[in-house]
Amino acid sequence: MLSRVANNLFWMDRYMERSYGLLNLIKTTYNATLDSGDYSDWSRILTTYLGKTPEIEFRNHQDTISTILYIIFDDTNSNSVLNMITKARENARSVQEHISRELWLSVNKYYLHLSQDNISAKYKKEDPISIVNELLQYNHIYYSVADISQERGNAYCFMNLGKYLERVVQSIDFLDVRIINLDQNNENLYESYFFKNLLISIGGYQLYLKTFKSIFSIENIIEMIAINEKFPRSIIYSVNKLNIHTQRLNNFNQINDNKLIFLLGKLSSTLKYTTIESIKIKGLENFLKEINVDLNKISISIDETYFNQKY
Amino acid sequence: MEKLIGQYHQYPNTWDEMFDASGGVRSLYQEFSSFLNNIEFENLNQMKDFSNQFFRNQGVTFTVYNDNKGVERIFPFDVIPRIIGIKEWTFIEKGIVQRIKTLNLFLRDIYHEQFIIKDKIIPPQLVINNRYFIREMINLSVPKNVYTHISGVDLIRDKSGDFHVLEDNLRTPSGVSYMLENREITRRLYPNLMPKHKVLAVDNYPQMLYKQLKTLVDKSDPEIVLLTPGLYNSAYYEHTTLARLMGVELVEGSDLVLDNHEVFMKTASGLRKIDIIYRRIDDDFLDPLSFNSQSVLGLAGIMESFRQGKVCIVNAPGTGIADDKAIYAYVPKMIQYYLNQEPILKNIQTYQMDHPDQKEYVVNNIEKMVIKKTDGSGGYGMLMGNNVSEKEIDDYLHQLNKNPKNYIAQPILNLSTAPCILDNELVPRCVDLRPFAISGANKIEVCPGGLTRVAMRKGSLVVNSSQGGGSKDTWIINKSEDA
Repeated sequence: MLSRVANNLFWMDRYMERSYGLLNLIKTTYNATLDSGDYSDWSRILTTYLGKTPEIEFRNHQDTISTILYIIFDDTNSNSVLNMITKARENARSVQEHISRELWLSVNKYYLHLSQDNISAKYKKEDPISIVNELLQYNHIYYSVADISQERGNAYCFMNLGKYLERVVQSIDFLDVRIINLDQNNENLYESYFFKNLLISIGGYQLYLKTFKSIFSIENIIEMIAINEKFPRSIIYSVNKLNIHTQRLNNFNQINDNKLIFLLGKLSSTLKYTTIESIKIKGLENFLKEINVDLNKISISIDETYFNQKY
Repeated sequence: MEKLIGQYHQYPNTWDEMFDASGGVRSLYQEFSSFLNNIEFENLNQMKDFSNQFFRNQGVTFTVYNDNKGVERIFPFDVIPRIIGIKEWTFIEKGIVQRIKTLNLFLRDIYHEQFIIKDKIIPPQLVINNRYFIREMINLSVPKNVYTHISGVDLIRDKSGDFHVLEDNLRTPSGVSYMLENREITRRLYPNLMPKHKVLAVDNYPQMLYKQLKTLVDKSDPEIVLLTPGLYNSAYYEHTTLARLMGVELVEGSDLVLDNHEVFMKTASGLRKIDIIYRRIDDDFLDPLSFNSQSVLGLAGIMESFRQGKVCIVNAPGTGIADDKAIYAYVPKMIQYYLNQEPILKNIQTYQMDHPDQKEYVVNNIEKMVIKKTDGSGGYGMLMGNNVSEKEIDDYLHQLNKNPKNYIAQPILNLSTAPCILDNELVPRCVDLRPFAISGANKIEVCPGGLTRVAMRKGSLVVNSSQGGGSKDTWIINKSEDA
């Protein structure tokens, strides 16, 4: 497989995963504002995810609606959902001979849906959750179609590298931004809906309830998101997936250099033998910092091994 | 619907594919006309919407650039197929094979011994001064002596029903993916009629192409790639389709490297050697060292690899001279010269504008003439003498006089028409036919049918997609007219 094609497959899934994360965030933030009446989260999302400093303070429901439409449809912001899907589709278009026909159709339909004329005007009057659910449905179809129609070869593995690298970055951001920066004096913190919405935004509410019942503690949340191997959005889950797919790729392409395998194996083992106690001793911030350093090395190594080899 | 057929007004002095001069349905279209008689117009419109939706979802689009923003358009498609009987098709097929064989011999000759010039069949300046004559190709032997691996021959039908060759396209002709997609959609639109008519299949074109390309090198499993200028090229859809259906890599210039004049592509598992490149970029952009030095689309040094026989380039560089509009006039003579045969397919009478007598005749009969630039394509740079002002003619002739050898003229032929669904009416529109031929080491194959292009505007003779033309599916059926 061409290096350029491998790179495009990687980014196709990265953009799909990123749009998925952002849409879920929109949904739960909106949900949270319904409970709390606090609209300040929108400003943080715009800064963190769209690199835009909001000019106004968000005060009411109408601000929420226009912000959501901005995040989804603004074609001048490269991180809007529309632009991410456009890029995912552009990548898909350039690798059509390597992805299943069905997968191409699913990305293309998503793009066509978002790029319809006047769609944002049409959406203005609709319930934001229905809008986001409609879009999330396209992401779900994409994942299922990839699962049932994509051959388990190079292409599938490169797609998964993109997907899980993006996902682990999102999980780390979640802990870094939302947990470390948690304002202990925030009065909402003691409302039951606060943790519920927090967990829903990363898709872990149900599993949390099953594991820890209804007792909410920050420690439990950290444990679940960092090292619960069963939670598909935990750091350890994504790292294990990255590990599996790089090993496959190494076999498929007969790569003699084991640097990437080594880096991932090491990170995967470290996480395996990490407990919530050891995270507490180290401090969450240091723990995340170390993982970030490792992930940077892994990302560079993926690039050197597969996308930009030196000859 | 009977009313609609009744309201069909044929163009004067024009052959219609479905109806004869007295308005009767031709026998090839008998079953199709009973289908039309039994369908509501509403359904035809639904079929049209369905096909547009189909093309959009599949991503069968070409990109038009406006204000730096790319807009993807679908190629207009008419749901009514164009039907040709097997007997007529066999005739066309033979004619195309004869022509391609000849043009290939011509290319080999002018880049080697140049017998055809020495024997005074073709004036030397027409070859030597031609901008498509590439000096780098002189005395260079190409693999299996094939230059024109892939060609699309444009045919039109005159008012008496005879086919003429309008153009031989030997420089990466496009449109074959539309031929394939048009068939995909008509299968769905006519679930009853298609099987009943036993339409000859076109969907094996990619396999046919792959097999013929394979014959170019003596290797059991050669590495074949398709070289595209990239995502922003208007024919990118076609490039991905062909690569996907042939199962070969779609590469860009930046994916390629040279080592010791061998061509390699950069893959996830290291460098992989390439044997055959089906390039969809023009000669000019192929190698910045030999041609346009500004080009970043090709690969610097690839011509030298080609010279050394390390890689096979399809079509060979320099084939453009054989489909040049000035050379075109000599093709019938070439067929006699190289094959000692009578041309099967007719040429259109062509006048050389640097020839004083011929030019005088053209200027005196300008209202019946079309003048074309020999290096123009896509319907650009031509003058249709029948509906232009005197000033436009004067301006054009003024330009022409600066360099008359760059121009040719032909009588305006009334292209045949075929019924189309437009604005809730059944109306005639002009059509041509572009069958696709593939030459390998041992034989020339023609895919049955091809692309029927349609001039969507009323009265227009311009079928080029860049000028708003559309297309139809072309059915070759196992039945003959009046059989």
